Amino acid sequence: MQVEELVIGMAGKGGDGVVTAGDVLASGAASEGLNCFMLKSFGPQIRGGESSCRIRISTEQITSQGDRIDILVVLSWEDYAKFAAEFVLKDGVVVLCEEKDEYLTKGIPVDERSLSTLYRIPFIQITKEKVGSQLVKNMVLIGILCGLFGFSKEAMVRGIAKKFGRKKETMELNLKGLNAGYEYAVGLKKTDPIEFSYVPSRPNMILDGNEAIAYGALYAGCRFFAGYPITPASEIMEWLSRELPKFDGVMVQAEDEIAAAGMCIGASFAGVKAMTATSGPGLSLMSEMIGLSSMAEIPLVIVDVQRVGPATGIPTKSEQSDLQQALYGTHGDANRVVLAPSDVEDCFDVTVEAFYISEKYQLPVIILSDQFIGHRKESIKMVELMEHNGFTKRFERIHPSIEELKDYKRYRFTEAGVSPMSSPGIKGGQYTAVGIEHDEYGCVVSTADNHESMNKKRFDKCHRIREEFHFIRKYGPEDAPLGVIAWGSSKGAVKEAVLRANEEGIKVSALVPQIIHPLPFKKFEEFFRPLKKAIIVELSYSAQFLKYLRSHFHLPFEQITCKRSGAKALSVEEVLTQIHKAAE
Amino acid sequence: MTVQYSPLDYRNDVKPVWCVGCGHFGVLNAVYQALATLQLPPENVALVSGIGCSSRLPGYVRTYGFNALHGRVLPIALGVKLARPETVVIGITGDGDALSIGMGHYPHAARRNIDITLIMMDNGIYGLTKGQVSPTLTEGEITKTTIYGNIDHPIDAVRFALGCQTSLIARSTSLDPKHMAEMIVRGIKHRGFSLVHVLSPCVTFRGREQYNWIREHTEPLPESHNPEDFRSALDAAYREDKLYTGLIYQEERDDYGSRVSALCERSQSKGILTLEELARQFLI
Ligand code: SF4
Repeated sequence: MQVEELVIGMAGKGGDGVVTAGDVLASGAASEGLNCFMLKSFGPQIRGGESSCRIRISTEQITSQGDRIDILVVLSWEDYAKFAAEFVLKDGVVVLCEEKDEYLTKGIPVDERSLSTLYRIPFIQITKEKVGSQLVKNMVLIGILCGLFGFSKEAMVRGIAKKFGRKKETMELNLKGLNAGYEYAVGLKKTDPIEFSYVPSRPNMILDGNEAIAYGALYAGCRFFAGYPITPASEIMEWLSRELPKFDGVMVQAEDEIAAAGMCIGASFAGVKAMTATSGPGLSLMSEMIGLSSMAEIPLVIVDVQRVGPATGIPTKSEQSDLQQALYGTHGDANRVVLAPSDVEDCFDVTVEAFYISEKYQLPVIILSDQFIGHRKESIKMVELMEHNGFTKRFERIHPSIEELKDYKRYRFTEAGVSPMSSPGIKGGQYTAVGIEHDEYGCVVSTADNHESMNKKRFDKCHRIREEFHFIRKYGPEDAPLGVIAWGSSKGAVKEAVLRANEEGIKVSALVPQIIHPLPFKKFEEFFRPLKKAIIVELSYSAQFLKYLRSHFHLPFEQITCKRSGAKALSVEEVLTQIHKAAE
Repeated sequence: MTVQYSPLDYRNDVKPVWCVGCGHFGVLNAVYQALATLQLPPENVALVSGIGCSSRLPGYVRTYGFNALHGRVLPIALGVKLARPETVVIGITGDGDALSIGMGHYPHAARRNIDITLIMMDNGIYGLTKGQVSPTLTEGEITKTTIYGNIDHPIDAVRFALGCQTSLIARSTSLDPKHMAEMIVRGIKHRGFSLVHVLSPCVTFRGREQYNWIREHTEPLPESHNPEDFRSALDAAYREDKLYTGLIYQEERDDYGSRVSALCERSQSKGILTLEELARQFLI
């Protein structure tokens, strides 16, 4: 059976290298112009312990991890058991596993009836005999996948070179492993029905959400980053620590998150675009700086790669439960913008937009990404990534004119609510930026009237942003009576579920805003107009997004919440089931 | 050299909110004086402060200023300095701001040796919140939150700064703004993190006697003191009966900014990249 799409799941113990195998497979596939989507999942250990990944490879555009696994590779059944709940197997699944797994004698934990083929493969033995090193069992595995299912070995060589190209010896060892696996598979009697077929095309880029944000920041002109390590956001800091200096930028690993956000505000005050990145617990610490950035009207971009909360929660898994914190966190009426990427490509676009808004409107912009996007790899067409910037204006902040410098009012009331911002070095532009309530000059004033008008000045920016910024995605027919509303990484499953339902003949549409605050009311109202029912999808136990929508809209249709805690990626089937129910 | 800037040129017309007789007026005058001594163009100076009576100071100076949040003077100052290395950055802080809420930031600014001068106005009391105990207040003192007598042992800012590898440490008092201005000048001239610890009375909550206390408990460092010798600095800092004023310690060490530039250079040793080229790392 020739297929144009495959979902491969792999599990093993730490050191088995299944995640590296996944990386190689995904980048190899991307080099052939294929689309891929790769998730990684780890146990809570620092090193070792179990790990797994799943990769969907397709000739078509894909937006989610795919629900069911076609090919399952298990290097250790004991460790597989820890991820079993995350792996839903397809009827007719093909399983490859290590022959010498003592758990095998107890019978594999996969329903025999749904199993099409079981390959017991002596991974350990092949590696030992043909390569002489136990380290590259995972490359033997890739070689076998090539031999059995029609992946190109040359593509995988590129994948390996991408990962290990810099180290000659490791490279050679891995290639030896790949070849050993390939030869073994060629000599093997193929008894499964799967044959992956495709026509290679121009290579795609492959990157994860954290890389896309880091690159987006650099692209948008960010030249100062301060952060404090936290899972699952640290990769942004690590990437920028490597690349920023090449562009004369600065990366500081601060002593804590308060300091990190403070350093960024300082740099931004001094005229340099600055960003910090963290996860929920860090955002809690940064709350006071959100207020300061808002009050002192200093541009600041904060990335929150959400993880499961509250408190330490589950650091390595995803949830959408920092929404309220991003929207409301900090004391007082502190205006801010909240943006949410919904896939890896969005991570780039949203970050560029975040700088644009933050610089133009002089306020904090929070980017709500999550572990699910941050750590997953997707293929993206290089040209597309660059061309997206057609819609992003590279905005530089407004500086005071010579005329304005004669009597410089840093917080001057203007039509647009945005006052020209001076920075050290500009003669005559001296002022004191303040977190305390102030008049147009920045001088302390505590009267009620002044506070009211200054609040108005700061909040009026929202209306402009609402009007100007319509970063929103819609799927399905315009006039559907059933709608799905989701945000952030839920989009993947939602989009696919809606498109599938459309194919089944169900009239359903979806709305995914990339701007969460301020909400572009008109766009929402347009979407609401034909609705009789809407399903609001989110990974938040307390349905934060639904409550937020209710706080802004009357919602004149039946609302069905499709919410649950995170830790497990949202599946297309979950959403589809809800759509079926609602469409009955 | 023709004098372009007089101390008056750094003064704006905002009236300080400080109580009459507050020691902070002395600090303000010393800041004007120091800036004039160094002939610094006001647009090239940024005074960054936290919160507290002391931290209101930037609002009274015609340079760039930033009156930020309680305890956060150092991270913000660091951001300003790294973003605009040509700016002279002066941190303005109080004992509570620097040694209580903002304490976690101090050792890091010091070990990085960021080129900032921190003026720490120490009066042992929280003036702005009207009279609670501060971390530098001596044991036994009565304040609004220690009505049975302070049972906490105080922090000595200078001893602490020595422990944190602060590369320049000086002490002065509001009784002698001229001396203070000299110390601030030394701090600004020093390439690296410098602390000017200033005993600055709070007449409202510690009373006018605080001036007398300072007069009785301070003494200029002896001529023989060698600030480049860490051991003698320690001895000076640990004198029990009196607090020394003057330049207690100074050490030449790379400052953070020059390390950052060196790092940038190292990273560019293989040539300058363009953003488009950089994106190729995602292609395989
Ligand atoms: S309360 Fe004390 S420190 Fe504050 S202004 Fe008045 S005298 Fe100065």
